[in-house]
Amino acid sequence: MTSGGGASSLIAWLERELREIWAAQDEPGAPPMSRVCTMNLVVVAPTPTLAERYTPVVDDVTASIPARAIVASLDPESTKTSLEGTATAVCALENGRKLCSERIVLRASGADCVRVSSAVDALLVPEIPTALVWLGRVHADDPIFEDLAQSADRVLLDSEYTSLSSLLHVTAWARAQPSSPRVADMAWTRLASWHEMVARMFDEADAMPYLERVTRVSIAQASSAGARLGPEPALLLGWLATRLGWKTSRLGGALRLKRPDGTLVSLDLGSVPRPEGVADMALARVTLVAEGFEGTVERELGTGIEGTRDADTLLWRRVLDGKTMEHRVRLGANKAAKWLERTLHRPAHDPAFDESVAFAEHLVDDGLTVS
Amino acid sequence: MENPLRRGLVEDRTGDACAVVIFGASGDLTRRKLVPALYNLAVSRSLPNGFAVVGVARREKDHATFRAEMKEGVSKHSRRKPIDPAVWSDFESAIGYVRGSFDDPQTYVDLRAHLETTDAERGTKKNRLFYLAVPPSEFGVIVKNLRDAGLVEPGSHRPRGAEAWSRVVVEKPFGDDLASARALNDVFAGTFDESQVFRIDHYLGKETVQNLLVFRFANSLFEPIWHREHVDHVQITVAEDIGVEGRGKFYEQTGVTKDIVENHLMQLLCLTAMEPPISLSADAVRDEKVKVLRSLRPMERSLVQNNVVRGQYARGFVRGEEAPGYREEPDVSPSSRVETFLAMRVFVDNWRWSGVPFYVRAGKRLARRVTEIAIQFKKVPHTLFRAPDGGISPNVLAMRIQPDEGIALRFTTKEPGQHTILRDVAMDFRYGSAFGSNTPEAYERLLLDAMRGDATLFTRHDEVEEQWAYIDRVFEAWRAEANAPPPLYTAGSWGPEQSDDLLARDGRRWRKP
Repeated sequence: MTSGGGASSLIAWLERELREIWAAQDEPGAPPMSRVCTMNLVVVAPTPTLAERYTPVVDDVTASIPARAIVASLDPESTKTSLEGTATAVCALENGRKLCSERIVLRASGADCVRVSSAVDALLVPEIPTALVWLGRVHADDPIFEDLAQSADRVLLDSEYTSLSSLLHVTAWARAQPSSPRVADMAWTRLASWHEMVARMFDEADAMPYLERVTRVSIAQASSAGARLGPEPALLLGWLATRLGWKTSRLGGALRLKRPDGTLVSLDLGSVPRPEGVADMALARVTLVAEGFEGTVERELGTGIEGTRDADTLLWRRVLDGKTMEHRVRLGANKAAKWLERTLHRPAHDPAFDESVAFAEHLVDDGLTVS
Repeated sequence: MENPLRRGLVEDRTGDACAVVIFGASGDLTRRKLVPALYNLAVSRSLPNGFAVVGVARREKDHATFRAEMKEGVSKHSRRKPIDPAVWSDFESAIGYVRGSFDDPQTYVDLRAHLETTDAERGTKKNRLFYLAVPPSEFGVIVKNLRDAGLVEPGSHRPRGAEAWSRVVVEKPFGDDLASARALNDVFAGTFDESQVFRIDHYLGKETVQNLLVFRFANSLFEPIWHREHVDHVQITVAEDIGVEGRGKFYEQTGVTKDIVENHLMQLLCLTAMEPPISLSADAVRDEKVKVLRSLRPMERSLVQNNVVRGQYARGFVRGEEAPGYREEPDVSPSSRVETFLAMRVFVDNWRWSGVPFYVRAGKRLARRVTEIAIQFKKVPHTLFRAPDGGISPNVLAMRIQPDEGIALRFTTKEPGQHTILRDVAMDFRYGSAFGSNTPEAYERLLLDAMRGDATLFTRHDEVEEQWAYIDRVFEAWRAEANAPPPLYTAGSWGPEQSDDLLARDGRRWRKP
């Protein structure tokens, strides 16, 4: 259906379509259909191609988080001006019942792109949370982003596929809003395993004192040498620094990290070759060194066996007083749906994330690159 | 001191480094529940780096055989299928086996040697979680031998990362009556302090049971009406459609009262009736549950006849299949007087619940498998509408524990049309639909909590004793009736007629959940 009769007639048509889907009688013998909706999931893609590619991801997610999903694609440069839409039920079979989410697809071209936010707004289910997933780069002065983000409880992006500066723009914008929508980054969700593995190095009483004596941090990312520091490494460094009370200082313009006792912590930023299928600038290794202690978490890139090449293992290695321990943890398939689902499941307010992002702002200002 | 890197970790649910030592490792519980739960924790990266499982049992077998048995158990019973080869390979290397008799001190010498090797090779840090998956008659000898072999670290609750700890997890039934429960508590108290003893009631590990606290205390809507001014009565049902399933010998010793009512059902009652705890700490929650148990109106002998109904299933049909009577089951006496059904009218004599009856029932071979707590609210004080027979139905809030975990609120609405015709409808929330059905099993949560030293979802010594003190009086009354046989009910029904009479006398009736 197109908006030949105006956006409001498109919305009326979509609403009618949805009503008819639920009014339709189940086929005899078929599992009964139940409509389930726990949230509005609004996904905005900067191109129709990306929207098409991301729609199966949305369907995967709504199979476990039932929602009204609205996938909107924008094509502002198009010479054609139109707003089109379709509505359908997406069902998953659960214990003999079909549990169905609703999926609305909106395609906006040319000047009609400006209508997208108001069309989405009209299609939201009231009284339930709304999450906005913004797939493109974020420009806070973009009225479509601003309108949609203001009506959302959470704004999600993936800084690994957009940019660290997009994440910083969004967080800065969110801080300035009276409604204070929460911002989440799927790259941060992916770091959860890293946080856990790094924290494990210091869980035991005999290891914990070394945390205050760290003298060197090495971080490597999957990229060519000379590339700028990626979002995952920057956020991990931000997390470490804010947990341990490290501050930044400059000497001759060079960034330095200082422990609470004033001792400097040297920072090595390196790169490793990026195997095919692994995202550019993905975090590859972190090593913490203190006298008598060395702990490393390393992603064994490209060892995936679960259908995606980057479903890697993390190797955890610790040398404590000359004694080495090693452990491997499977990260599992690196699927977009998994990260979106996990991000939606995490608490909306995550102070560690906010603090790490604030720290990462310093790193962006420094224009850090890896060797 | 806490590890600062753990501050604010959203997914911080990892156990402390430890060896989980399972006594009774050849049993069904180990193969069906415990090891699959530990494997699932490995999949979700909740196990610590320093981790090992040590099975202890009498049967002769080597590590490889034990591992193969556990792999088969995980393949069949884990909620995550198929087994992930990478995770299993890592997990399997942590599994070991020690053969020996529980009353033979040599077993514990061997166990100690094995654990010392494990500490050195796997970094388990001398932390031990002893899991007693054995009958209570074995608890005493195991605890004594553990102590004599120097395998128990003294002391109480320690922060994470502190010195080595020892904890013991015990399966129900915890005792057979108040005296034996006290005796068992004494067995543990002689070696462990209370913070080291984790008495499992696996019902408390179920998501829906934990959600009871969230539902009551995180929603401002319900708590103001959660008392005698608004609640007419409460019904708690723990119904199974299966029979004793080859456990006739066990059931002849327990019956439904000791198997279900004394523990699971009483816990559900406590969580429904308790006051808000001052925090979610283990003792704050358990203090409130104990207060409920102490507020229960004692079931004096004279009250039992009018407030307690027992029953035993006779031949019938369940889900369309013919089912034998209890006395026809293997290992059951043909003249057995063991109850397979119990219904009670219970009063919580405190400010909140004064005069509100709690009707509770549990049984085997009932019409369907369902566990639920239903709060029936009072009727409207005045009927404005032409109502069907019996007036307007009261609102009911039903919390289903299993299956189809969820919450349903029944209320009255008008049917569309020219006339004001009232009709009951339900707002129905189901966990499986809203959050997916792949939620952690109760044993996963409970094992992880025990590894972390969090006893909130475990039963404290005084809770167990209060539960038994209440139930003992019922048994005393039955003994005074010269152990009269329980009335029979047809398999596939909702219990004996007397159960319906129990509510009918109050002008009420059981729900058909």
